[in-house]
Amino acid sequence: METTAVEYVVFALCAVIVLAGAFGVIWFRNPVQAALSLVATLFGVAVLFLNMNAQFLAAVQVIVYTGAIVVLILFVIMLLGVDVEEDLEEEPLVGQRVIALVIAAGVAGLVVAGVTLGGADLVSGARSVTGSIVDDVSNIEQIGRLLFTEYVFALEITAVLLTIAVIAAVVMSRRPSEVEPLPAENASMEPPEPMEPEAEEVFD
Amino acid sequence: MSAPFAGSLLVGQTGDPLLFSVDAVAVGIVILKVLVIFALLLVATMFMVWFERKLISDMQNRIGPNLAGPFGILQTLADGIKFFFKEDVIPDKSQRKVFILAPYLAFVPAFLLFAVVPFGGDFNGGNDGMVTIFGRDTYLQLADPPIGVLFILAMSSLAVYGAMLAGWSSGSKYPLLGSVRASAQMVSYEAALGLSAAAVVLVTGTLSTHSMVTSQAGDGPWGVLPNWGILLTLGVPFVIFVIAGTAELNRPPFDLVEAEQELVGGFHTEYSSIRFALFFLAEFMNTITMSAIFVTLFLGGPSGPAFFGPGWMWGVIWFLAKVFIFLFMFVWFRATLPRMRYDQLMDLGWKVLIPLALGWFLVLASLEVADARQWNRWVVGAIAAVVLVGGAALLRKSVRSGAALRAEEVLD
Amino acid sequence: MNILAAVGVDNPPLDWHALAPELVLVGLLAVLLLVDAFGGERSRWAMPSLTGIGLLAALIPVATLAYDGVVRSMFDGAYVVDNYALLFKALFLIAGYVVVLLSTNYIAEGDYWEGEYYQLLVASLLGMTVMASARDLISVFLALELLSIPAYMLAAWRKRDLGSEEAGMKYYLMGVFASAILLYGMSLLYGMTGSTLLVDIAGAIEGTEVPALVALAVVLVVVGFAFKVSAVPFHTWAPDTYQGAPTPVTAFLAVGSKAAGFVALMTVVLIAFPTQPRIFEPLIWALAAVTMIVGNLIALRQTNLVRMLAYSGVAQAGYILAPLAVAGVSGASAAMAVEAVSTYLVIYAAMNLGAFAVVIAVARKTGSAEIDSYGGLFSYSPVLAVCMSVFLFSLAGIPPLAGWYGKLTIFLALIEPGTLAGYILAVIVGLASVIALFYYARVAKVMFVDPAPDGDTTPIRVPMSLAAALTITVAVTLVVGVLPQVLARVTGAETFLSIGG
Repeated sequence: METTAVEYVVFALCAVIVLAGAFGVIWFRNPVQAALSLVATLFGVAVLFLNMNAQFLAAVQVIVYTGAIVVLILFVIMLLGVDVEEDLEEEPLVGQRVIALVIAAGVAGLVVAGVTLGGADLVSGARSVTGSIVDDVSNIEQIGRLLFTEYVFALEITAVLLTIAVIAAVVMSRRPSEVEPLPAENASMEPPEPMEPEAEEVFD
Repeated sequence: MSAPFAGSLLVGQTGDPLLFSVDAVAVGIVILKVLVIFALLLVATMFMVWFERKLISDMQNRIGPNLAGPFGILQTLADGIKFFFKEDVIPDKSQRKVFILAPYLAFVPAFLLFAVVPFGGDFNGGNDGMVTIFGRDTYLQLADPPIGVLFILAMSSLAVYGAMLAGWSSGSKYPLLGSVRASAQMVSYEAALGLSAAAVVLVTGTLSTHSMVTSQAGDGPWGVLPNWGILLTLGVPFVIFVIAGTAELNRPPFDLVEAEQELVGGFHTEYSSIRFALFFLAEFMNTITMSAIFVTLFLGGPSGPAFFGPGWMWGVIWFLAKVFIFLFMFVWFRATLPRMRYDQLMDLGWKVLIPLALGWFLVLASLEVADARQWNRWVVGAIAAVVLVGGAALLRKSVRSGAALRAEEVLD
Repeated sequence: MNILAAVGVDNPPLDWHALAPELVLVGLLAVLLLVDAFGGERSRWAMPSLTGIGLLAALIPVATLAYDGVVRSMFDGAYVVDNYALLFKALFLIAGYVVVLLSTNYIAEGDYWEGEYYQLLVASLLGMTVMASARDLISVFLALELLSIPAYMLAAWRKRDLGSEEAGMKYYLMGVFASAILLYGMSLLYGMTGSTLLVDIAGAIEGTEVPALVALAVVLVVVGFAFKVSAVPFHTWAPDTYQGAPTPVTAFLAVGSKAAGFVALMTVVLIAFPTQPRIFEPLIWALAAVTMIVGNLIALRQTNLVRMLAYSGVAQAGYILAPLAVAGVSGASAAMAVEAVSTYLVIYAAMNLGAFAVVIAVARKTGSAEIDSYGGLFSYSPVLAVCMSVFLFSLAGIPPLAGWYGKLTIFLALIEPGTLAGYILAVIVGLASVIALFYYARVAKVMFVDPAPDGDTTPIRVPMSLAAALTITVAVTLVVGVLPQVLARVTGAETFLSIGG
């Protein structure tokens, strides 16, 4: 498949949007603005998928990430009322910023070195498309076929994972109604005394 | 948005034949289509505003708008002009940029959604709705991406951002509450919407809106009934889709987002002038688009018998007639149904619609498997129905035992 | 149009026998969910028994598969059931069973949600058994998430306790961070090779022209796993999490999660990166050396037994990492390393679970895990004191206890390739063991010599289930120490990883 001029232009535009969004996520001090930058990034990625003829992935990217996950992130930010700018002047750990800078620079250097030393086939992505899209079969069919043959076990395990994650989330959000004063140090070792089952708060 | 779609359509030889080779004429036709759709949607929205007010007045034994033009039909225009000259207030505490951006975010998905809706063409006798404009074959729809239905879901999931950001950026509490409600409600009903749309995808075997209409245009069950999605999916997904679609639109009886008695005006409390008008228009435009989607998925889109004259014209007529039914339905809902309580809304979405949509999807899937394996459809259907009822009973029991447990503990 | 007819999907070949242990666990999970949903409070008592029975039932197919002895491979080699996988499945299931024994009274007597506790435990164990067989990136990652996510929640199970909340929070944040790093490395690997199968990746990066990117991927993957096994400097979550979490959960994390992390690390490194020893050997060498030294030195200063065991666990992770640092020299050294790691993991599980069992038993009376509170334990509960000494001296590597044999296999694996790096690491292992002896012996001294702190010398009543757990762990620790060939027969018969599934 040849790359057309349109695809180059779209790629360049989206690359700028994706990177600017990612930068915005860490740059903005207001969590809502950071989340909106994340939307830009995810949307850019979706368009990049389209550019590579992966329409299904693009649609799912928008539906799942921009349409659901970021909405939930925003929901939680608004619900908890933490949409205020953070004070970034204080350093909880002394010197953490310097260390973070050094590590970030190191990783960035490694990535850049890897890409520049990697030769032409790495930059062009030639290796990574070995198992790629067949043009005359629809995306969904190809993905479905892979999911239900080669990766069927992973799919089923994911089902268990999601179920148990839901259970964990429910347990986390349930809480006993009587909030006792927190026990003293090392209390986690105390033999728990037998108690009657506690009443729970009813949320409705 | 249109560039990537065009790019992707160039490669696979599916979709609108117009885009198989792109030249000046093709681009011109696409631009023409964009203009026509834009103009049509705006006019339809104006009509809808008037229609809703007039119809509700009739249902409530009032007269309604009657001064601007014959039957008050120019009332919307008058309102629009008035809004335009009102003072535009941007609150001090607002997040200015987002505050300005939000109305457009509400407005844009409604337009984009219409891009994949087929609104005309002749689907009779094996025709696939092709029309010829300036010597080029094309469909009467702006774009026919192979993922049409997913595009619809994606755009409707983006619609939440308008309401959400409007409420947040206003910097006051009622709008914020409204937007929190909006996001919870729309995310909740998104799942039911998607699952019931998936049922249509399952029976028609395609995600492209155009192929979906084509496959619904043939002869249906027993050769008498139309081959519409509403019949192929045995009705239930249609009901779920209509309910979930109404909730997505935040229209009554699901208009908790802007419940006047509780939240003043909800997410658009702080908006005034033309920005308020944009929200207002977006809401009605979304209503029209959603009706068009109902028609495309479940009622065969523009397909229908042609009597005289050009066939494509009948496609447009049938489409408009079918859309009108749903517009009437939405107004009817508004005039007659009281607003739901918040917990009822969530219970309906999570405990009724989503399990039902999922269960029904599985029943349809088992019928498909039965056809593929040449098993007896009726036996498989009966077994699937029994399993569905059993699952529903289990769900009901566990919901009840959970509620009983909580009630018991409250009494302790 | 009928979709199925048009697509014509072939069902993937499934080997139900090979999947049986996982299927039993999934079934157990479903049963627990249903019993909990409909039984409510009335069914609380049945939960631990059901879980224990289910875990033992899952062992049956493991045994039949081992008896069968055929290497079973599914999904193009993404899921392999061989002796290596079976050994670890058995280890995880038995360790899980012991954790259930430890939890029974602790969870039942506290104000905990009991049904969910066992459901999460079973899900985590399911992730571990999957991990033992996983041979491609997606399965490895999913298994890792499946075993970690319930564990995050379990660590925060004492919901009214700030310490427990902190434990869960730290574990979760660091775990997610590690997953992200791991995933980044994995995505680079997939991008470079176009395959998720570990075997294919090994083939594709052999003699590759892009060493920098391969190096980055290997480093990220190893670092990601280093978080999971709490190797220094990625260990910071471990002490707080271990101390704050409910003690049975701590035992589970210290044994199960850590062993699963090692299994994953070993599988990925030895199957996917055997051609890149220049990259992973120095990295693991440094990690192992630093982990042993730092872990032991900090453990010396601890006054809380659980915290001390946490740091000792960090140090033990260093011992277990060590053989992998010389695994890339030759096929023989890789085989030796696998044998050493497997052996040590089995022994470590027994002695560490045992130590936590004693901690739980003693805390039932004293309500504390401070080392001082163990004063005079021998005078009023001699059996517990002796058991604890057995476990501690085994951890220190004193013959004739099992830890001694574990250390021996590690020494052998380190010396086998005959490289300088191996010898130096062996010396470090030796020195670290000597340091470790101090703090293990100090606890023994407190138990045997010091008087009881408050003069209360009523003996400790040990419930049935705890006693059973103690019996199992003491038995394993003693039997393997005296007759190491029992274990060697199991761990030595493996030639699995050289063929890569």
